[in-house]
Amino acid sequence: MNAASQNHAARLREISRLIDDRPSERIFEVDRRIFTDPDVFDAELRHIFEATWNFIGLESQVARPNDFVTTHIGRHPILVMRSAEGKVGAFLNTCRHRGTIVCPFKQGRQKFHVCRYHGWAYDSSGRNISVTEEASGQYPPSFSNQNHNLLPVARLGSYRGFLFASLSADVPQLEEFLGDTRAFLDLIIDQSDSGEVEFVPGASTYTFDANWKLQFENGLDYYHFATTHSSYVDILRKRNATAGPDAGFTAEPEGEQEGQGSFSFDHGHAVNWSIKRTQLYGRPLGMDPARLDAVRQRVGSTRAKWMLRQRNLTIFPNLQVIDILSAQVRTWRPLAPDKTEMVSHCLAPVGESAAARTMRIRNYEDFFNASGLASSDDNVMYEFCQTGYEATTAAPTQGYLRGVADVGHGESAHARELGVTPSEWSFGLPSFGGETNFHPGYREWRRLLQRAAGETV
Amino acid sequence: MVGSAIEQADVHAVAAATIYREARLLDTGEWADWVAMYSEDAVYWVPAWLDEYTTTNDPNTQVSLLYHDARRGLEERIARIESRKSITALPLPRTVHQISNLEASETGPDEIICHSVFSVHVDDPRVAKEHLRHGRYQHTLRRDGDTWKIARKVITLVNDRVPTVLDFYSI
Repeated sequence: MNAASQNHAARLREISRLIDDRPSERIFEVDRRIFTDPDVFDAELRHIFEATWNFIGLESQVARPNDFVTTHIGRHPILVMRSAEGKVGAFLNTCRHRGTIVCPFKQGRQKFHVCRYHGWAYDSSGRNISVTEEASGQYPPSFSNQNHNLLPVARLGSYRGFLFASLSADVPQLEEFLGDTRAFLDLIIDQSDSGEVEFVPGASTYTFDANWKLQFENGLDYYHFATTHSSYVDILRKRNATAGPDAGFTAEPEGEQEGQGSFSFDHGHAVNWSIKRTQLYGRPLGMDPARLDAVRQRVGSTRAKWMLRQRNLTIFPNLQVIDILSAQVRTWRPLAPDKTEMVSHCLAPVGESAAARTMRIRNYEDFFNASGLASSDDNVMYEFCQTGYEATTAAPTQGYLRGVADVGHGESAHARELGVTPSEWSFGLPSFGGETNFHPGYREWRRLLQRAAGETV
Repeated sequence: MVGSAIEQADVHAVAAATIYREARLLDTGEWADWVAMYSEDAVYWVPAWLDEYTTTNDPNTQVSLLYHDARRGLEERIARIESRKSITALPLPRTVHQISNLEASETGPDEIICHSVFSVHVDDPRVAKEHLRHGRYQHTLRRDGDTWKIARKVITLVNDRVPTVLDFYSI
């Protein structure tokens, strides 16, 4: 190891210690600098986003041969294509010749992608099919032996149509990485009779001037809902007073205890969920009793019950899937310590009724994104936090301790129902708003940085 | 002359008076007067972009940035801001709507469709930042007795990568 990389490793070890996690002493602290420090930000991109599995889209976005969609993993531009033969591939969207973005479009369908700079061309399997004027290029003999194809990502995998990719080969198998989060993806996918989900056309991209971890945390945070979203709750209550039978409201089975809970999983993932007697909003699945019955027959009453409960799933480091009054898939792309780009899609089971689909869309627009009545308040809160985190000499925040006194290990009745084995779980009153489900993401964050520093973790 | 075809000059004057007034009421925060310009069944629609060239064309099967099929949706947004519970409006950004390239045509005895372009300068004192939203309006105006109501407004937001908050006052 040379001096520069020793310094880098030492710096990474220092950064990893910004998370103070001492479960036996019931201490969990996050140093404010992880939201503001440019060194931390660089380390996150390189050693977290660019070193583990990231969600990159749905297979159904590239349903037909030669369909493509572009995205990012960390800083890397990515081109996802289905080849003429029907195989999905994910490649670095950069020409082998001079680095130009090969495909500058968001999505589309093309057999070939021709670099506009010097005309090198690739087919939809990423294979180079033309080096412009190669014969007259006076290339050294070694050139023809070089591979000129688009560089594929190191790992690409799909779980029931959810595509994940990693720029590093040093990752567990996708199934192992996802672990029991798969049970929660299943709860959405199995709402479709054909077991397929799709993005409703009309994605939304927005930014906020705050660190990406504010979104990561907020997606796990039930504590904020009643205060941050009180103006939205007022609107819902007013609407609900006159809601008709097609509003999609469903009831918990008798005997279910109201409350909020969470499961923490390995590799940074967590899910929080709530069991409510009085719902604030209906569900697309709930508006058509015949269809709900059919789903219940197919998946069983226990899983159908969970399909109707609010569930907020975080798959570390870049994905949140929310199933509530609608379903949302959102990903974030860190642009700077204090700037994040969000891409948000409305997720839907293939085959739901036209009325349920329209309800899903209206509910989604109502709640989510910069234009929604709830998420827009979140975005502003992130910016307020970011400004507050500039007070780096202030003591660590006190935002990671709700639930610490009573965090569960081992068996839980809720986990048993779903057949999952979380590393930790929590359950509390409807006003609980636990924060221990933030811990797995930060533990994985620390583990990846320690690993990059050469520590055995 | 009620009931007869209005002159083209009148069509243009009606359109201009309506959409300039709407812009002023949005900028001055006179939202009760603003929303009263809409008919109760008014459609207020900001389509999303499907790709670089195309916007969504069916609000029932595609997601829009904003879609309200009745004035009620706008009234809820106003109530949310006026409740002083939404942090998006504490403080409320200051805006200036600039509208030009107005074309208007009579499409029925009691209907005018007008096209225009807008830029909205948004200044956010909360974070001391400003940004500009720009795009195209298509208004459908309907005669309602002696006045004209906005029956439909379609806003094509050209720069749809939105910073932080998008609401009716900033487009």
